Amino acid sequence: MAGAISFQNVGVCFRMHREKVTTLKEAVLGRFRHLRDAEVFWAARGVSFECRPGDSIGMIGHNGSGKSTLLKTAAGVLKPTEGSVRIEGRISPMIELAAGFDPELTGRDNVFLNGALMGYSRREMASKLDRIVDFSELGEFIDVPVKNYSSGMYARLGFAIAADVEPEILIVDEVLAVGDERFQAKCMDRIRDIRAGGTTIFFVSHAMEQVAALCDRVLVMHHGKLVFDGPAEEAIRRYRELQGFRPDAAPHPRSA
Amino acid sequence: MTAAVKGIAALLRFRELMFLLVARDLKVRYKRSILGMLWTLLNPLLQMLVYTLVFSRIMRIGVPQFPVFLLAGLLPWTLISVSATSSALSLLNNQGLIRKIAVPQAVYPLSIVGSKLVDLAVSLVPLAVIAAALGRPPGSAWLLLVPAVVVATCFAAGLSLLFSSLTVFFRDVRHLIDILFQIWFYVTPIIYPHEFLEKLGSPLLRSVLSLNPATPIIRWFQMVVYEGRPPDLRTAALATISAAATLVLGFAVFQRLEDEHIHYF
Repeated sequence: MAGAISFQNVGVCFRMHREKVTTLKEAVLGRFRHLRDAEVFWAARGVSFECRPGDSIGMIGHNGSGKSTLLKTAAGVLKPTEGSVRIEGRISPMIELAAGFDPELTGRDNVFLNGALMGYSRREMASKLDRIVDFSELGEFIDVPVKNYSSGMYARLGFAIAADVEPEILIVDEVLAVGDERFQAKCMDRIRDIRAGGTTIFFVSHAMEQVAALCDRVLVMHHGKLVFDGPAEEAIRRYRELQGFRPDAAPHPRSA
Repeated sequence: MTAAVKGIAALLRFRELMFLLVARDLKVRYKRSILGMLWTLLNPLLQMLVYTLVFSRIMRIGVPQFPVFLLAGLLPWTLISVSATSSALSLLNNQGLIRKIAVPQAVYPLSIVGSKLVDLAVSLVPLAVIAAALGRPPGSAWLLLVPAVVVATCFAAGLSLLFSSLTVFFRDVRHLIDILFQIWFYVTPIIYPHEFLEKLGSPLLRSVLSLNPATPIIRWFQMVVYEGRPPDLRTAALATISAAATLVLGFAVFQRLEDEHIHYF
């Protein structure tokens, strides 16, 4: 069914290459060393969860807990080392907005380039162009090379494209930290609309209030393991527990 | 086999992306240059002038209408060598995209081949003009340039896929292929007629050089453009086999290693 995500015992392993060379033999043999016996690091392991079409799932966890790794696996950029990932339907990955921008091209050219990267035809993108320009509030800057954009303009255009491609699954990675408050609110509204339209949302953020507002179900990652899967309130509590962090004590948690 | 079919289907789905990447390459390449696309024409013409001076005037290689002969081989050679050497870095240069958006990675080297193919197509115009001016006007045999270009493009694509993937694992490859293509250029009959190779004294050298997979492809272009006749069956068959085998090899290696690339950037 379009919009379903299924992770079965997924593990993603990275090879860590140390570059320290101590002996001559190692220096010579070491030239080929990068092809074998590197230290392995499991960024995520044994992760299983199911997501029905139309669900909106959040994922929280400390830096380096494996969130982005799982997101990239869902987006198809990384292949799982073990286990299986099944994704049904068209994905729009908002992983670092504007990842596909070419600085030398104009905003308009980049709309088409970004669309093509997500598998949309020129004609489909042409029919969306006006709405995208409108949402991004770029006006005539759309015909300026994007290297001259401010970072806010960059992000606005990136969001406008990703939000307008009618995905069946929308992956949002920490992208709402951009733009001014008003634009952030506009983005949240847009994501709510997309969600109301029946699109599955997979949302990663460190902004707990956004996660709570948007997701019925939240996964908590801790050192590569999925440690909690349930309602948002509880998930956030669990996450803070694991961190040993109480936001009410912030910003001086040590002074207590 | 099914993996190969799936890979090709995925590539076809992203053909528009390839066109856009080709367009991007051309746009960015000629940005802020006064002559723009003209450089694509000037480049082989300037090379032609130099080679003609050296090999026709100074070394007297004895080929009539040398510029026509030279360009006939030099243009497809440029497609092959420039595609392969620029593609070698294509995955590294696009690693930002590869890390974030899942598209078949073959679009990156293949779009480079595409943009060099545009260069070749554009350069055929001055070639026709020079050929006509020197008394070898283009005739109906020139229609056989179409399959010749297809064959040369497949050959270039195979090498590009192969080298782009290998460079990710061994960065030495990009230095190696610069040297490889320099040597390859001189052992391929481009600046001298292929009869020179058949008259070589050493039978060993002769048989080794006769294995050069690029020779039949270049010969096809020379027969059509310089000799004004269709290629003989043997040359056409050898060229096709060599291009097909290279493409299959390149594609197979690329597909096998594609998922590993991201771990070696």
